[in-house]
Amino acid sequence: MNMHVTPQHTPAEKALIDAFNARVADLPGDGMVTIKRDEAIDAIKAGLPTRHVEAWHYTDLRRLLTTVPAVSTSAPTVLEPLLAGSTVLRVSGGKTQDLPSAEGLSFIRLSDELAEGRGINALGPTDAADTIGAINTAFVTDGYGVEIAEGVELAAPLEMQNLHTGGQVHTRFGVNVGAGSKAVIVERQTGQASALASAITTLSVRDGAEVLYLIVQEQPEGSSHLGQFRATIGKDAKLTLFIMNAGGKLVRQEIVVDAAGDGCDFQLRGVNLLAGDTHTDVTMVLDHSSPNTGSREVIRNVVTDRAKGVFQGRINVHQIAQKTDAKMACNTLLLSDDADFSAKPELEIFADDVACGHGATVTDINEDHLFYLMARGVPEKAGRGLLVKAFLAEVIEELENEAVIEALEAKLDAWFVLHG
Amino acid sequence: MPAVQETIDQVRLIDVDQYKYGFETEIEMDKAPKGLNEDIIRFISAKKNEPQWMLDWRLDAFERWKTQEEPTWARVDYPKIDFQDIHYYAAPRSTPGPTSLAEVDPELLRTYEKLGIPLREQEILAGVKKPGHEESEDGVLADTESLNVTGGRRVAVDAVFDSVSVVTTFKKELAKAGVIFCSISEAIREHPELVKKYLGSVVPASDNYYATLNSAVFTDGSFVFVPKGVRCPMELSTYFRINEKNTGQFERTLIIAEEGAYVSYLEGCTAPQRDENQLHAAVVELVALDDAEIKYSTVQNWYPGDAQGKGGIYNFVTKRGDCRGDRSKISWTQVETGSAITWKYPSCILRGDDSRGEFYSIAVSNGYQQIDSGTKMLHLGKNTSSRIISKGIAAGFSQNTYRGQVSAHRKATNARNFTQCDSLLIGDRCGAHTVPYIEAKNATTQFEHEATTSKISDDQKFYVMQRGIPEEEAIALIVNGFVKDVIQELPMEFAVEAQKLIGISLEGSVG
Repeated sequence: MNMHVTPQHTPAEKALIDAFNARVADLPGDGMVTIKRDEAIDAIKAGLPTRHVEAWHYTDLRRLLTTVPAVSTSAPTVLEPLLAGSTVLRVSGGKTQDLPSAEGLSFIRLSDELAEGRGINALGPTDAADTIGAINTAFVTDGYGVEIAEGVELAAPLEMQNLHTGGQVHTRFGVNVGAGSKAVIVERQTGQASALASAITTLSVRDGAEVLYLIVQEQPEGSSHLGQFRATIGKDAKLTLFIMNAGGKLVRQEIVVDAAGDGCDFQLRGVNLLAGDTHTDVTMVLDHSSPNTGSREVIRNVVTDRAKGVFQGRINVHQIAQKTDAKMACNTLLLSDDADFSAKPELEIFADDVACGHGATVTDINEDHLFYLMARGVPEKAGRGLLVKAFLAEVIEELENEAVIEALEAKLDAWFVLHG
Repeated sequence: MPAVQETIDQVRLIDVDQYKYGFETEIEMDKAPKGLNEDIIRFISAKKNEPQWMLDWRLDAFERWKTQEEPTWARVDYPKIDFQDIHYYAAPRSTPGPTSLAEVDPELLRTYEKLGIPLREQEILAGVKKPGHEESEDGVLADTESLNVTGGRRVAVDAVFDSVSVVTTFKKELAKAGVIFCSISEAIREHPELVKKYLGSVVPASDNYYATLNSAVFTDGSFVFVPKGVRCPMELSTYFRINEKNTGQFERTLIIAEEGAYVSYLEGCTAPQRDENQLHAAVVELVALDDAEIKYSTVQNWYPGDAQGKGGIYNFVTKRGDCRGDRSKISWTQVETGSAITWKYPSCILRGDDSRGEFYSIAVSNGYQQIDSGTKMLHLGKNTSSRIISKGIAAGFSQNTYRGQVSAHRKATNARNFTQCDSLLIGDRCGAHTVPYIEAKNATTQFEHEATTSKISDDQKFYVMQRGIPEEEAIALIVNGFVKDVIQELPMEFAVEAQKLIGISLEGSVG
């Protein structure tokens, strides 16, 4: 009982190791890149995390990750951008496509970088619990690096699509937003058949820049999606991150943000639409590492059928980060007795002059509200739908961007058609 | 736990770290050799004249303990404990049986005197030596009533000194009501059927590392049995004190409230000032049957270590209440100001339909103290409700963590919970942490959780100081306002004491 032995590999672990051995020679990069990949696969060989690893407490990856499909090479069909007129960067089946041209933007391909041994420092798991970092490092094939110049206000939104036709896709996006620039960026994670996807995004919002970043995850049924979003926010800069999870069987979306610049601001809004047999885990770690920073996080979950939802949010306020103002809320509507939701909102505070708080609620639809609607002639089913939608739309409407709100509400409607 | 206010003033003169119970009592001790093995367990069991089944239970727990690992998930940091370097049994030599008061060592009585102790019991204890007092059959003074009435309320006390329960008062009157209140050793001998039925039924022998250790080596503790339909006529109280060097205190408390019964129980703890760390690993089990109510209050003031963080008690406690019957209620109230390390999660298993669990906590940490405390509310029955109010105050270099779990089982329809945990930081070298686990598996669940962390606002402080109140007192006043919700839940005489204690614990935290 008190002996640590290397666990017998699960079929998924074995499949990952086998897939690595089969593919490593063809993956981009050699030398240091290969060393990094080897180290990463060693971490996987030690076993995928179980619920005894605190960061994975509610998502026992070792038990939940059951299928690791083979690599697929067929090309997916084209996906219309979420916002009309966007500049689109497409990764298709794990491969980058033609580079668009747009003023103030410059692009590089990750496969080129790796082949030339650049960008190595970004690879590798950040700590022992960073399994997504390990899987991605071992297998990453391609992705984009985007540089937004200083003092530019992007005329059109930038959309980065990660599309597949099933199989395995392991990609990375890296975006630097120059000082004083403004941008709306959309990240789409979707495909046409069930897949195992690992997707890591690193975002640097430099001093005084302002970014609205949307992640829309709509993986097909049966997919496993392991997403990680890492951001650093500079002095007086502002990042608003919106995430929508509306797909996948096993979803883990990690959000790691460092509010590093004096006076910066971070806003997170999330909508998780969980139906069927999905297990969706949104885990956030937010560091306030500078004085006078602010943050608000609002996560709204609708959980129905046999779905399981998880929200873990930790706010670390460093000793230096006086005058931090951080608030986090996680509200859940649990609509089915077979569904469940677990929340772990944490505060870790080392500075005294702060105002921090979190709130979490789990409940069903308020019967009084429903009665109010029904008394006015709205049928029960429609009334419930209206209340659920209002509950979600509230966070979307806070985004203050007409086009974005419209596009996201259309997504909501589409989900309701399927699951309402 | 003294409710004597004068001690507060004396304490101010004692030491920098303001610990007021930092004396040790030199009396002859009967100790087991250091170390832990089967022989020690046999020795303890033999010392207690225990029946064979109890020894077997202990040995079984010890076997399991050897296979367990020390938990590391709590946010506390301390050097590894050498479990072989502890005396697992220490008893004041002069007290052959827990009820024979007449032969109590005068040194022991002086201890009580210094403590102001336990809750007015000083008078009874002193009374032992007065001529003209006669002992009743069960070894307790017959004329205690007149001495123990304070403000119309009476409290029965069980005092546990290192490993042994030295005195239990008011037994006769309690017996009249049908209430059994005695040391657990005595209960094992006198009421084996009750002990057998309930011991380990809430906290199983191998529940966790420290509980298992306790199951193997527990030396004494209190036993309370309130029969069907009885409202316990007075507050019951236990007073724990670790005195001897290098001893661990492992007490075990078992409280059973039968159908419709009510009992309110207080627990107080102190220890002398020492350089080395002392271990305290207690287990408390509460059982509430249909319509029963148990109210359990703790004022924990073990020695917290000195101003440099040296010494202090390691307090690893497993407390759990089982609302086994329908409409039963268990309420935990705790004021945690002592111990170098506190690891404690008084919990409620809401098994009965319509049962209710409550947890009210004040955790004050100063100096280098580390507190990781909270509760678990497990909703299993239908229409169960729970309420958690936790107030953490961190000062100095301390770390103060609230860790709590609220969960609704698949079949627990209409489970309700309200949780509020607020933290107050005094100074920028301390940390306050909140780690709640909220798990809902039923659509009719209604869980609400909120947490805040802030500091005392300058406006508040200015307002109070402007009225001529010095800064330190102003802070104590504001802090007492901050913890008011919890203080209100304490029995009245404890409330006064707790307020003072919080003030003392925070002294030296400003300026």
